[in-house]
Amino acid sequence: MDAIRTEALTKHYSVGFWRPRPYLALEGLTLSVGQGEVFGFLGPNGAGKTTTLKLLMQLIYPTSGTAHILGAPAGSAEVKRRIGYLPENPYFYDHLTAEELLEYFASLFGYHAAERRQRAARLLDEVGIGAERRLQLRKFSKGMLQRVGIAQALLNDPEVVFFDEPMSGLDPLGRREIRQLILRLRDRGCTVFFSSHVLSDAEALCSRVAIVARGRLVASGPLSEILAFQVHGWELVMSQVPGPALECALKEGRVLKALPLGPDRYALDLPLGTPPERLLGDLTAAGAQLVSLNPLRETLEDFFVRQVAGATSDRGLE
Amino acid sequence: MSAIRTVGTVAVSVFRESVRDKVLYNLVAFAVLLMAASYLIGQLTAGQDIKIIKDLGLAAIATFGLMIAVFIGIGLVWKEVERRSIYSLLSKPLSRAEFILGKYCGLGLTLVVNVVVMVVAWYIVLAYMATTVPPEVRAAWPAPATDLGMLRAVGLILVELMLVTAIALFFSTFSSPFLSAGLTLGLWVIGHFNADLKNFEAVVDSRAAAWFAHGLYYVLPNFSAFDIKQQVVYAQAVPASYLATTALYGAVYIALLLAASVAVFSRRDFK
Amino acid sequence: MPVVLVMLMASAIGLQALRERGGELPTGADSLLYVRSPGAVQRLALSYKSILADVYWIRAVQLYGDTKLGRTADRSYSRLYPLLELATTLDPYFDVAYQFGALFLAEAPPGGPGRPDLAIALLQRGLEAQPDDWQLYQAIGFVHYWSTQDYAAAADWFGRASRLPGAPTWMGPLAAVTLAEGGNRKASRLLWRQIQESAADDWFRAEADRRLKQLDAMDQIDLLQRVVATFSEEQGRPPAGWPDLARAGYVRGAVVDPTGLPYRLEGSTVSLDPTSRLLPLPREGGRP
Repeated sequence: MDAIRTEALTKHYSVGFWRPRPYLALEGLTLSVGQGEVFGFLGPNGAGKTTTLKLLMQLIYPTSGTAHILGAPAGSAEVKRRIGYLPENPYFYDHLTAEELLEYFASLFGYHAAERRQRAARLLDEVGIGAERRLQLRKFSKGMLQRVGIAQALLNDPEVVFFDEPMSGLDPLGRREIRQLILRLRDRGCTVFFSSHVLSDAEALCSRVAIVARGRLVASGPLSEILAFQVHGWELVMSQVPGPALECALKEGRVLKALPLGPDRYALDLPLGTPPERLLGDLTAAGAQLVSLNPLRETLEDFFVRQVAGATSDRGLE
Repeated sequence: MSAIRTVGTVAVSVFRESVRDKVLYNLVAFAVLLMAASYLIGQLTAGQDIKIIKDLGLAAIATFGLMIAVFIGIGLVWKEVERRSIYSLLSKPLSRAEFILGKYCGLGLTLVVNVVVMVVAWYIVLAYMATTVPPEVRAAWPAPATDLGMLRAVGLILVELMLVTAIALFFSTFSSPFLSAGLTLGLWVIGHFNADLKNFEAVVDSRAAAWFAHGLYYVLPNFSAFDIKQQVVYAQAVPASYLATTALYGAVYIALLLAASVAVFSRRDFK
Repeated sequence: MPVVLVMLMASAIGLQALRERGGELPTGADSLLYVRSPGAVQRLALSYKSILADVYWIRAVQLYGDTKLGRTADRSYSRLYPLLELATTLDPYFDVAYQFGALFLAEAPPGGPGRPDLAIALLQRGLEAQPDDWQLYQAIGFVHYWSTQDYAAAADWFGRASRLPGAPTWMGPLAAVTLAEGGNRKASRLLWRQIQESAADDWFRAEADRRLKQLDAMDQIDLLQRVVATFSEEQGRPPAGWPDLARAGYVRGAVVDPTGLPYRLEGSTVSLDPTSRLLPLPREGGRP
């Protein structure tokens, strides 16, 4: 059974009062997420990521198509017991303290008082909220609110967790902590579905991704497939490169580009085709020293920009 | 978890929020002060002190209650949707109907507590009044100062307030606070003119208009029915059947509004 | 900054005091009422009828007091009836408003507007709401007795009052006495004494007290007038003043009215001091 499954999920809005025109927020989204995966749902702003999440949470109703979570229709009570959700830029009742909020949400699951307190305390520890947990939420910074948001999503030890921009508002230290938390969730067998426009997070965490742009699914699959992991060149960093040897290599076309990094230190872009060992040998013989040699692979960003630009141009003058 | 317990959890949360709301405290404090001040006002009235205190007390309870019902009621749902705190809430095992009912019961609980506080303050002032006045004067009063019969008026006031809350909640499910306040208060005012609607044909020539007005009379909530303040101040008889029918009318209307609120809210897309 | 605030507040207070001293602008005749029509006010009152009735009642009492003490420009008590009408429209059971109206609407100037017709109209409206209230019947009889001096009508209303539930036992005899000796001070004294003993409100009791003192004054004036006449006869000339009479042994001690102010003697006429609050004394001699 898939953790998440959508079939031709579509959402149109009617915009305008006098002559309503349809606005396409999401068109025919079909995807599936297996249990235990960390799934990245990527796309630029306005692509339909939040719309999809809201459809999965039944905060909005689909115009057509279906969505199922753990085999049951999205939004059913059965499903809600087994999932957690972190909305984008979460807002909670600011007259409550962090503890009180978590205990309130926990009470909706039917936990007894002692268990509520225990769960709240444990999760606040896990997301790194210390003594501030007794302050009213109106005094919390964005980053702290984000952590509370993550905590409330995990109250019921969910089987599937939905994060909408989980890293938003966090400093680098915070982002690292949350990345580790997501990996811990994966290790526990939890399915993590998160939407983001920050690609480095997806690269670091996800086993599979889907990319949406302008309401349509543009690509999906395992990262390795998407990126093909094709090497399309090399980057050679060397120091104490003698000038004439470099010029000669450039002229011969053995070096495509030389980026100076310091006195006599260069990052050299080498073309695909010729193995770099020969050039390395020649330059070393001329007196240069090797710093690093890296294959250049297409990054997710390159792929993303290519796909999204394509999708945007498809939409043309809409 | 059963629906009733879920509704109760939300209700307690609403109650807790209103208790922490400074505006509410100020309102109730003001009402209590007014009760105390009514003792002074009574001095102006050439011997009618007790009547003034009774009248003022009932009017204050009704008015402050109305303000609480409207100004909290209009934001009950709207605030949650606007600020999007509803996103995380509805992802928990809580249906939209339970949410609406929980909000309503929470405000209802708040109203009951506030009314009780005001009634206690009021009876204290009345009791004090009774002690400062010689027995012959007390004997001439139509009813004792701390006449518990006045609680019948308070009871109907409470039903009225619950009805106003239901109206405010209904509007809150789909319109902004400003508009909701206007519509709710508007309905409250019109609900007092019911007698005029019934007698429209006496004023207007067109039969169709009179029929329409007559129809409106039956459909619109009749708020003047809940007002027995004058009767209880003079300790006049109010039949139990009147109290029962009026309360039942209120309850049915409330149920209608809550059902409509749930229906509207269940179909909404949250932006 | 705080200094600026304090100074501004002080100036505001000072200016307000100045305004009060200078007197407010003359207000329009109806500003006290806000709404003229009883029908309109009933509609506008929504569920605040009782409290609004109380407000109009308070204004009526204040208006009466201010006018009587000479604090208002308008001495005609013209707004008294409209205020009481509004109060009783909003609260038809407002007994004291009816009674107050009966008493003071009918009183002749300068103590009141001298409008027994309005008093009776007000009371009749009260009867529409409470047809069994003996106090209203008594009040109507009262107005007839005191202001229009129609003793037959007064007796009739007292009689009706006596037959209603809750009426005091002295109502019947009062009706009889009124019929037989209307205008007689004895009957009047009886009426006022009963009211003095049974009235629930201080102002009512005070008024009864005043009326009884008036009756005493009238008795005293009659007595003093006879003394003066005897003096004139026996001495062949009118007395020069009270000391004159005192020296001659016709009066002893201070010659004061029941409120303590000395009577005046001008020529052969005895009268109350013009500042006495017992003025004007009621007329005597009624219509048949």
